[in-house]
Amino acid sequence: MSTPRTVLLKVFRSTPAGHGPRYDEFRVPVGPRTTVLDALLAARRDQDPSLAVRHSCLHGSCGTCGMRVNGREVLACLTRLDGLGDPVVVEPLAGLSVMGDLVVDMEGVYGRVEPAGRPLVRASEGARPELEELERFEDCLECGLCLSACPVAGDPRFLGPAALAAAERVLEEPRGADPKAVLGLVDDAHGAWRCHAAFECSAVCPAGVDPGGAIMRLRRRLLADRLPRLVGRYHREARP
Amino acid sequence: MTRTGPERGTGGRQASRWLDPRGRHLGTWAFLANRLTGLGLVAYLYLHLVILSTLLRGPEAWDGLVRLFRNPVFLAFDVLLVLGLAFHGFNGLRVALVGSGLLVDRHKALLAAAGILVGLVSLVAAVRIFFG
Amino acid sequence: MATRLQEDFSGATRWRRRPRPTFAWLAQTVTGVLLLVLLTVHMVAQHLVVEGGLRTYDQVIAWIRNPVVLVVEALLLVCVTWHGIAGVHAVLLDLGLRGRTERVVARILGDVAVATVLYGLWLLYMLAFRG
Repeated sequence: MSTPRTVLLKVFRSTPAGHGPRYDEFRVPVGPRTTVLDALLAARRDQDPSLAVRHSCLHGSCGTCGMRVNGREVLACLTRLDGLGDPVVVEPLAGLSVMGDLVVDMEGVYGRVEPAGRPLVRASEGARPELEELERFEDCLECGLCLSACPVAGDPRFLGPAALAAAERVLEEPRGADPKAVLGLVDDAHGAWRCHAAFECSAVCPAGVDPGGAIMRLRRRLLADRLPRLVGRYHREARP
Repeated sequence: MTRTGPERGTGGRQASRWLDPRGRHLGTWAFLANRLTGLGLVAYLYLHLVILSTLLRGPEAWDGLVRLFRNPVFLAFDVLLVLGLAFHGFNGLRVALVGSGLLVDRHKALLAAAGILVGLVSLVAAVRIFFG
Repeated sequence: MATRLQEDFSGATRWRRRPRPTFAWLAQTVTGVLLLVLLTVHMVAQHLVVEGGLRTYDQVIAWIRNPVVLVVEALLLVCVTWHGIAGVHAVLLDLGLRGRTERVVARILGDVAVATVLYGLWLLYMLAFRG
């Protein structure tokens, strides 16, 4: 029987007390379908039980296992090691406080999306007919990959792609939310106007949400709302 | 190979994230290049004002400078300047359009178009500067 | 904590006298588009019209005395200073400028912009009327 293939994982380590940061190496067996998460869990089981890594559903629908693999934001449970080279560098998401090893404080994501409003229109209910072709921001996993990938989101005050896209979705169909409050939240130098059209967020989103596009639609909405006031005309209410 | 810890970004940490090329797509490169050319052009603005101030010292001082600027090193710098200006301008136009919510679905095509225009303008400028 | 972040957002850059971010962004866009035109005109007029691409002292003075040229150059100066300084401010924001430092730096940048325009206008005046 041939020796199973192995891969060297270089995993970012640090403790909540602040020891580290350093990179620990784990050589793990790998097959054609082994994912990064599989390998990390194997490393934790067989080599170092202190390795902190979060996961839940194991099939890309909960958004818990977001991390950077070779610098690129991915969901670890969906990312096969095959083809990533050797060694493979595994790091936590950027832009969020590291609580230890690969675990980050996801409050940085939830705390941003919540003020923007969380769109909750069930697919079975159906959105307004004319919106059927637009992306369902409801698909957002709140995984934080977009926040990590965004070149601007190092600023902790920046609302970030997910929150801004959530705001846009809420403004499309407020269903009881106050559109003016949402517009006021995003009309800020650290809100919608922070984005510089890099679209890195849309490139890494595992749910196909296109937050970049949503932010631009949001800006069009802001301009349509603010411009008439600039020329002194009657301020139109944001579309309900 | 050291990498900075991916903690909450401020100042230097954010700047070092900008220097991390792994896993990034074209849009991020365009963003970074816009920042870089922008800062470079601001620096050039002040350099330009200083150079133009030589005019206050009369014809001899200025005409001497003009002779100096025909030196190939300076001509090469001029081509770089046009390249930076063209990139910042055309990519900036893309950012302005897309950032107003126009042609959002075509942002990749716009970037490609900007790249082509930048190449063309720079080429024409290089020819004119060196052989005109 | 969600509450803490909300405080962050409500406290951020909401000064009374500050122009709305929408308009700040619009100003950047408008000056940018204007610059595309003005800089093209400037480059063509300065370097493609004249033999050899660079004007001698006498040619510069003769050129700047044209009122249309003077106006265009002054407009270019204002646009490029606004756009450039606002751009520097944006980069600094990206790099984490905040709080009191942000206000101080914003005021300094504003002063630099005004000084730049004033100097440039003075230079134009000296060349056009006292050259």
